[in-house]
Amino acid sequence: MKLDSKNLPLEYSTETNRMNILGFWIFLSAEIMLFATLFTSYFVYVDRGVGSGPAGAEIFELPPVLIETFLLLTSSFTIGLAVHAMRINRVKAMIGFMVVTLLLGAGFLSVEVYEFIHYYHIGATLQTSGFTATLLTTLGTHGAHVTLGLFWGIMIIIQILRNGLNARTANKSFIFSLYWHFLDVMWIFIFSFIYLKGMM
Amino acid sequence: MKELFPLKQVNGYIFSLLLTVVALSVYFFDMSFAMGLTILVVTAFIQAGVQLVVFMHAGESEDKGGIYVHTIYGVVLALLTILGSLLAMIWGYMF
Repeated sequence: MKLDSKNLPLEYSTETNRMNILGFWIFLSAEIMLFATLFTSYFVYVDRGVGSGPAGAEIFELPPVLIETFLLLTSSFTIGLAVHAMRINRVKAMIGFMVVTLLLGAGFLSVEVYEFIHYYHIGATLQTSGFTATLLTTLGTHGAHVTLGLFWGIMIIIQILRNGLNARTANKSFIFSLYWHFLDVMWIFIFSFIYLKGMM
Repeated sequence: MKELFPLKQVNGYIFSLLLTVVALSVYFFDMSFAMGLTILVVTAFIQAGVQLVVFMHAGESEDKGGIYVHTIYGVVLALLTILGSLLAMIWGYMF
């Protein structure tokens, strides 16, 4: 789908807006590399770095992982709906979708915290082995991104409530949606190549 | 109400749920490691593509070229880093 160049949506309306969006895409490429290095160390350690600690198949549980995946996939869908609502100028619906997105994100984080506590209780901590260290660092980096996203999203909602939709707030919301979708993409790779591969 | 749920995005969401279910088959069915990993690679990359094109609108603006080139560059570097490290440290190679 191409944008109509005569009638650009608000978030593309100025040159700065356009550059912000392009710049954020470039930032996301750098984020891909960040996660690539984490995945690298994880894949190197997953089988060889277990030591006397537990292996992946022993500590992974399917139900919490499935709940996390479902919550994050749905939140990625709702933030997409928020951008759509923004483009048809339905501010209330947009804020509603953003609130739902952040609630789903908070739900995801609570399950992840439960999961980390579970790992701690069964003796899979950051210091246990190369495998648990890289596992928890990778999951933790993703979780930290989601946490940052929650605060970022709240700030943007406050700004829209205070200033309404204008070129600046629309641009920020669109960039936030890119960030949120990106976190979902990274989670899909974690879900497939850390959890499912580990339980296969 | 209906205009708030564009068909394209609803379909994208349903499709990504379906892909998750397909990926789950590696857990529920007994299959070889190579087969399971192939399913995971295929479903994960299609999922990422759906997010990129349907939800992130990667191809809509005039910066489309730059966006795709940069993203593909990031993905290629990521794959080189991951596979290269595995080759050097785990799989080994023979002269």
